[in-house]
Amino acid sequence: MKQLVLLLPLTACAMGGSMHQATIVGQCAADDAACSRRHPLQPLAIGSHFHPDVTAEISGSATPNLVLQSADSSVLAVEDGALVAKQAGASAVLISTEDGAVVDFQHLWVAPVTKVTLARRDGDRIGGAIGLAVGEDITLVPALWNNAQRLAGESDAEWRVSADGPIAILRDGSSDRRRLKARAPGTAKVTVTVAGIETSVDVEVVP
Amino acid sequence: MNRFAFLAVVALVAGCNPTLSAQSLAPPGRAARLDAVEGFWGIKSYKLELSRGIAIAVTCNYGGPCAKLHVTSDNPEIAEVRDASFGVLQPSAGPTYAPSNQTTAAAFVVIGKAPGTTKLHVKTSDGGRTIEVTIAPPPARAAQTTAAR
Repeated sequence: MKQLVLLLPLTACAMGGSMHQATIVGQCAADDAACSRRHPLQPLAIGSHFHPDVTAEISGSATPNLVLQSADSSVLAVEDGALVAKQAGASAVLISTEDGAVVDFQHLWVAPVTKVTLARRDGDRIGGAIGLAVGEDITLVPALWNNAQRLAGESDAEWRVSADGPIAILRDGSSDRRRLKARAPGTAKVTVTVAGIETSVDVEVVP
Repeated sequence: MNRFAFLAVVALVAGCNPTLSAQSLAPPGRAARLDAVEGFWGIKSYKLELSRGIAIAVTCNYGGPCAKLHVTSDNPEIAEVRDASFGVLQPSAGPTYAPSNQTTAAAFVVIGKAPGTTKLHVKTSDGGRTIEVTIAPPPARAAQTTAAR
């Protein structure tokens, strides 16, 4: 029994790949709770990009230069180091050395988007209207879903505002995330479209 | 007497080839299964069922990790084979409960590329094996409607 207890911490260290030697995680800031790319084990949304960060743990060796290859590029392609979700299905992503030896592989899933919601950067879901004072700002991130399943990946999002005056929509370098800056008192509806699916939120700006 | 000698040689040849073991799980709803095909003299060959887009890791043993492992596919467009670097030590000499030596596992990965059947040929310095491979298409997806919120 004592030996079993001693083994528990070791089992918790297993890597996520099928051969337990490497893991694919998303490139994401440590404090960015709403970053959809933090969810590598969730299905990728069709049309989205996933920017992977590969970590390997091979006994007696530092991580060699690793390359990613897809087993089925019609489902999931590897383009310029990013995973691109093409159509619904599953595909193994092979993690190999430059000479082709497979160090590990992980099966990833791709699913269509059926719903889009909005969240703050801290991950808190937006469930109703937002109130801001002039000069304040809030950063919103679209979250992609397939029914109850959260989807991973970064998709191009189109942001529109019903009235130009109260709100300015600012880019922050991300393809989907935006910063809403309150400019003048009034109300506006902000609409976000991702993968052909819309969601909107009412914003009220007060003096 | 000659017949007995012939049978003994056949038995030795049949029983003295490497054995193969799957080392990875099938993902949900997909196939990744390696089975031995048993004959009168023991394992005749192996059969592998794999779904398209799915991979399986396989190790080769012959009283320890196989030496000079080389695996080829008759049709890489159906089933592709890649060498694998599997950082696990396995007993290579002496009894299994107290091995006198260990060697890094000899492994390869098979990838289902397209539906169909083909053969893999496993060659080592201690003999070989044939794997009959069937790649199945992924299951049909239930129709899903999209709805705007």
